[in-house]
Amino acid sequence: MAGISSGHARRSAYLTALAIMVLLPMSVAAYKLYVLDYPLAGLIPAPSYNVEVSMQVDGHGDDINVHTYLPRTDSRQSVDNEQNSSGLFTAELKSDPLNREASWKGENVRGQQGILYAYAVHARHVRFNIPADMTIPGSYPAALAPYLADEPGIQKDDPQIEAALRRIVPAEKPAILEAVTRIHRHLQDNLANRDFSGYTDALTALKLGEASCNGKSRLFVAMARKLNIPARLVGGLVMQQGSKRTTHQWAEVYVNGHWVPFDTINDHFAEIPANYLTLYYGDLVLFKHTANVNFQYFFKVTRQLVPQVDAQTALSQSSLNITNLYAHFERVGISQNLLKILLMLPLGALVTVVFRNVIGLETFGTFLPALIAAAARETGLLWGVIGFLGIVLASALVRKSLDWMQLLHSPKMAIMLTTVVIVMMVTTVGGVQLGLFELAHVTLFPIAILAITAERVALMEAEQGALKVARITLMTLIVIAACYAVMDSLFLQSLILAFPELLLVVIALNLWLGKWIGIRVMEFLRFRRLILGSSS
Amino acid sequence: MKSLRTLLSRLKDARERAATVLSMNRRNLHYIYTRNERRHFQLADDKLLAKEVLVAAGVRMPETYRIYSYFYELRNLERDLDAYHEFVIKPAQGSGGNGIIVIVGRSGQDWLGISGKTYTLYDLQKHISDIIFGVYSFDLGDRAIIESRITQHAEMAELSPLGLADVRIIMCDNFPVMSMTRVPTRQSDGKANLHQGALGVAINIASGVTTHGRFLGQPIDRHPDSGIHLIGRTLPYWPEILDLAQRAARAVPLKYLGVDISVSPDGPQLLEINVRPGLEIQNVNQRGMLSILQAMTVKGGNLE
Repeated sequence: MAGISSGHARRSAYLTALAIMVLLPMSVAAYKLYVLDYPLAGLIPAPSYNVEVSMQVDGHGDDINVHTYLPRTDSRQSVDNEQNSSGLFTAELKSDPLNREASWKGENVRGQQGILYAYAVHARHVRFNIPADMTIPGSYPAALAPYLADEPGIQKDDPQIEAALRRIVPAEKPAILEAVTRIHRHLQDNLANRDFSGYTDALTALKLGEASCNGKSRLFVAMARKLNIPARLVGGLVMQQGSKRTTHQWAEVYVNGHWVPFDTINDHFAEIPANYLTLYYGDLVLFKHTANVNFQYFFKVTRQLVPQVDAQTALSQSSLNITNLYAHFERVGISQNLLKILLMLPLGALVTVVFRNVIGLETFGTFLPALIAAAARETGLLWGVIGFLGIVLASALVRKSLDWMQLLHSPKMAIMLTTVVIVMMVTTVGGVQLGLFELAHVTLFPIAILAITAERVALMEAEQGALKVARITLMTLIVIAACYAVMDSLFLQSLILAFPELLLVVIALNLWLGKWIGIRVMEFLRFRRLILGSSS
Repeated sequence: MKSLRTLLSRLKDARERAATVLSMNRRNLHYIYTRNERRHFQLADDKLLAKEVLVAAGVRMPETYRIYSYFYELRNLERDLDAYHEFVIKPAQGSGGNGIIVIVGRSGQDWLGISGKTYTLYDLQKHISDIIFGVYSFDLGDRAIIESRITQHAEMAELSPLGLADVRIIMCDNFPVMSMTRVPTRQSDGKANLHQGALGVAINIASGVTTHGRFLGQPIDRHPDSGIHLIGRTLPYWPEILDLAQRAARAVPLKYLGVDISVSPDGPQLLEINVRPGLEIQNVNQRGMLSILQAMTVKGGNLE
């Protein structure tokens, strides 16, 4: 029996361990934040868009050319992870100071052929403040001359446009802010938005008193140029989850060395939202192609949250930092992705502990939910759960027949392991055959743990019935989903990557839970008659 | 205002009553881990080891006729068994009642099981080999025990006509805390396990009188199969049962445990001890166990 003094020693050891596990990581984190100046804001995940441009042509045996503009990385938007899959077309990229143009060339094209170009975009919302007293300069550098010129669709010198401009901006020498405000308000408020995909020049837009984005933008540019403010058209895409054919155009005016954006369809005055993707500058056509090929295109946009790249790069510049630490792992071929899963596993185990000891759900094993949740990162939660259920139930069925044959424990477990491997291979091959590629990733599941789980499922079914197995399976699935939600959180991932010392806090929480003697939520239900009295 | 006050007072009552219930976390941390050392757990897991210690301390248990540890010992099985009319075959480290055969007599050359099934010599040899092989225990290899069969005291047989009932007593620091008898039903298929649908009947520790019944999570006054009244019966040999439980608790270094006892016509016999006795006994008794345990550690006894 433990004496009083050993109980005392045990208690002080416990409290000391608890204090260290809380204070040590807190001080390291504080050091990083205040001395090494870690950017905390960079931990919040930012939206990123995957854009797929899908183009299709019908060939009749002749050569086919397709051209389009691709976005470029600038101070507002970053474009990366570009992928071209153009089948029998050869791609060529051309770049001038303003635009990037891609052309695909196909020889003797027959039948329906597709070109797919994909990239990831991360862009910022930007707003400009134009000083109220800034006047329109009398002259500009020669390079800006094209942005003041009359063009076929931007008829700045047309008398009707000039007359309209006089009414909208009556002042003889207006300030820039006053001029663009009046033009913007007039086009936004007095010209109706039309959902029309065809071409509208500036004059037509004025005459009709209504226009779509390209007509309004041309009129904006024409009026700005007439007032001797350099202006240009911008073509791009409003990125929203889903598939669309509609592209967008807006205007930019040159103010004191900056190109300031205006959108008189969606009322963005001197600002551009984070989901606007710039594809090209100038009065250009986005897609050009050989005639009579039944050209079809659409954009497919998927929105996702990703850790902020620049914040992670900033981390790598300080000395006591994790990206350097991770370089060691990378040297031996352990990717940052795998490391992230490794670092998130303790959090998954903590979630499981809370569900087991505080809520009172029974699960198959303490680690199984966290491990399945980690593996489900590749398959997605739904397919992860389906794969898990399929493998465990199929293997438990095999276990039942082994039971009937009455074998010894160790060889039986070896057969179980083999069964899990076989079921996994079959699932993967079947998944690929059926096009369910997510399901194919079940090979990442922890094989040994699945074999043990299948063994337990079979044993429990035999001893306590299928109902009990179903109950615990359901509870395990609930905990897997909770683990997945926590382990999939980009915020927590960024946090633990930046502050891996927080794992000690996870230990502290477990130390605390290890001494928690409260009544579990499920026990409140179980003993409700004792707790609430016999009346209820 | 008045309803708020009643709600608050009901909440206060609920809090107070909740404080009487022994929770799983507290049972593990404050009673099992602090009173039972890990190295002594095997005493409860290995029935032969436990029996050795308990019988040596004068605890009455079913008589061990034979122990089979090796296959070659089975050559003389028929001659060995000839001496006994009734017996039970069970694995030393089995769980959940698996691998147990109860023999009640002979049927010509064969043996007659309690369910009416007959076993040939080959069947028994095969079953014992399976036990030795470890089919019923997680370990590789086990031992098979042949022991005397307990017949129930007539009053227990009246209470439990469908199989052997046992009396579970929770012992803490060698004193009884709470008790119940577990009665097999048709639902439980002859097994005395509450989760499998056995009937639980609470017993007042001081008097040995049954107080409440519980079946499938609901309070019940009558046996679901036979319909006889469950409440107000005095268990036969109750002082002897408590004495046996205390003797068993003193004999082992486990200070928080459940002892399972059966009552035969000539007195109680210990069936087994359990280091992780369940908490459902509180629902059966319609009373929390924590307040009793806490009062005991202050008073140093629980004989109300």
